[in-house]
Amino acid sequence: MTNTDLDKLLSTENLASLRQQTGRAVGGINAAQAQRLTAHAKSLTVEARPLNIGIVRTYTSDLLDPWFGLAGALQGLDVRTYHAPYGLALQEAHANSGLVRHAPAITLLMLRREDLHPDLARPIVGLPAEARALLRAQALARLKEVVCLFRAQKVGHLVLTLLPSLAEPALGLYDSQSDASEDAWWSELKSDIGQWLRQGVPSSLFLDLDADLQRIGRSGYFDRRFWYSARFPFSPEAARELTRRVVAIGTVLTSPRAKVLVLDADNTLWGGILGEDGVDAIALGPDYPGNAFVDFQRRILDFMQRGFILALCSKNNFADVDDVLREHPHQILRGEHFAARRVNWLPKTDNLLSLAAELNLGLDSFIFVDDSDHECAAVRLRLPQVEVVQTPARAVDIPTCLDQVARLEILSLTAEDSAKTELYSQERLRRDLSDDIGRGGGGVGEYLASLKMKMRVHLNAETHVSRLSQLTQKTNQFNLTTRRYDEHQIREFVRHPEWIVADFSLADVFGDSGIVGVALVEVLSPRQARLDNLLMSCRVIGRDAEAAFLNVLLRQLAERGIEDVVAEYLPTAKNDPVKSFLTDQQFDPTADGRFRRNLLVCPPRPEAAFPIAIDIAAEVAV
Amino acid sequence: MSLFAKLQEVIATTLKVPPAKIGQTTRNEDLAAWDSLGQVNLIMALEQGFDIYIEVEEFGALISVPAILEFLKTKGVS
Repeated sequence: MTNTDLDKLLSTENLASLRQQTGRAVGGINAAQAQRLTAHAKSLTVEARPLNIGIVRTYTSDLLDPWFGLAGALQGLDVRTYHAPYGLALQEAHANSGLVRHAPAITLLMLRREDLHPDLARPIVGLPAEARALLRAQALARLKEVVCLFRAQKVGHLVLTLLPSLAEPALGLYDSQSDASEDAWWSELKSDIGQWLRQGVPSSLFLDLDADLQRIGRSGYFDRRFWYSARFPFSPEAARELTRRVVAIGTVLTSPRAKVLVLDADNTLWGGILGEDGVDAIALGPDYPGNAFVDFQRRILDFMQRGFILALCSKNNFADVDDVLREHPHQILRGEHFAARRVNWLPKTDNLLSLAAELNLGLDSFIFVDDSDHECAAVRLRLPQVEVVQTPARAVDIPTCLDQVARLEILSLTAEDSAKTELYSQERLRRDLSDDIGRGGGGVGEYLASLKMKMRVHLNAETHVSRLSQLTQKTNQFNLTTRRYDEHQIREFVRHPEWIVADFSLADVFGDSGIVGVALVEVLSPRQARLDNLLMSCRVIGRDAEAAFLNVLLRQLAERGIEDVVAEYLPTAKNDPVKSFLTDQQFDPTADGRFRRNLLVCPPRPEAAFPIAIDIAAEVAV
Repeated sequence: MSLFAKLQEVIATTLKVPPAKIGQTTRNEDLAAWDSLGQVNLIMALEQGFDIYIEVEEFGALISVPAILEFLKTKGVS
């Protein structure tokens, strides 16, 4: 980057614009420039949150620090790195090691390919097919050993990387056509690694550096001078990309979870002003600049697949925008893609507040995308908890403008995530039905009965660990104690003989909610149990599910001979909806601030007391 | 700004030491931060700060202020 570009960045007045502009800056940022940008970013941050990163590496990683500092500062994080002694330092996988004492939120394993097997230092294309398959199995086995050693310690989220090859594949341009293709061999191994981590290692991620290599190009990715003289492989551009992605993981781990993408329409979903140009003249279609907006809409569908829900917030006549959503031949996002819409002339801040109320989600889960300086500034000022992304001025920059928004990255993906907007649309239909019954003079009971709800309760379901952890991390409102647990901890509870982990999903005439509630119970003695937490997605509030679920749980406990259940309500800024839950469910406040229900005095009710059919599935812990 | 003053600033920023610690005769062994990692950082910063490309063969000689000043002159930096 030239010093003129640098000076321009150093005059940026808010962190979000600095982050966006630095992301768009072309060329490498060297260590000295990174330090100056870091200082500037820190001056724009009120209070940086710490992010400890531990690094276990078999090549030089210390030189990444200036870029880690920058990537962190751009996210309002103060990154502190710990570099384990050079080499595959397995001694760091111990309870009192320097790594563990650093208390990392992320432990980054930076390995070279040949660390997985010495034979990988030599060409593999000449080996017979069986030998190549065996080599892959051995490499995976070696990796599993290393990963398991570290996973057994408190080292935070485990992020595994393999340094890409400095060389083109052995067979050059013929590689992809050969049955001994080196690229295909590595792709298969990477896929095996990813599958294994997903299924077998909680809180872990394979971060594929080949994706960075692809973006930058091999000749721009490595600086061979520093690789061969100092074992530091990365060009400034590669260092920036690697650290940006690692810090994005840290951002996702330490920030409020983003859930909603709120999109402006004019000059965001299409070019031009609908109200002035008319539906036939907006830029949206096969030609420039309309093709860039088509690509952006296509990209937004990717974010939906990650589990973000979409909302539309536009200053326009409702009918005009509705016309585009229904009729425009090149519009990709249609009415059904948006969980909620605000198309009117009210201030956008008001609309964001009412969207939050309608979707039952906190404003800190909103990412607001708009092209207008004025709207962006107003939202930043009045609703600072909303993350604002300003759509770039040039159409060619628009399709990728959300790619570097760290909070739009995900670290796990469940079936519920991919179907999120659909679930919210079902919720809209339920509201309509409730309104209809209300207008016909019917009560809540009649409405709930008409839903024909079925609750499926699972006990100690190890296959649900990822979703259950996600629920403890994401749920803020209907959450008794707001204790957050990672996958590793949930798995321990599931396997622990003295703990019961219960979850439920809820189906009705409109669809299946997927897993939406969790309760964690610790059995303290043969007669007494403690409700560690009970939480439920706000999507299913108001259907008696919480009471039915607790009742199922209490029946289970009563069957085991438990007589006394203690529970807590820990108030936060957000969990007001659950404030009276325990007393509503016949728990009595006690002198120590907790709540208690004696199951002999106040036994659980029969299942028929609820408008929900209940089915219990127990999974044996393995 | 003299060439020395500019170099002093580049070294100070890169190695995070006060500029006053860097004199006309400072060598790598005078500064704890000027270790092998500091050296690589410094090479990168020199390239950027003076808009030059340094060959790997030249890395080894650039371990003192006078050597770097001499080198910069041969590269036409003034």
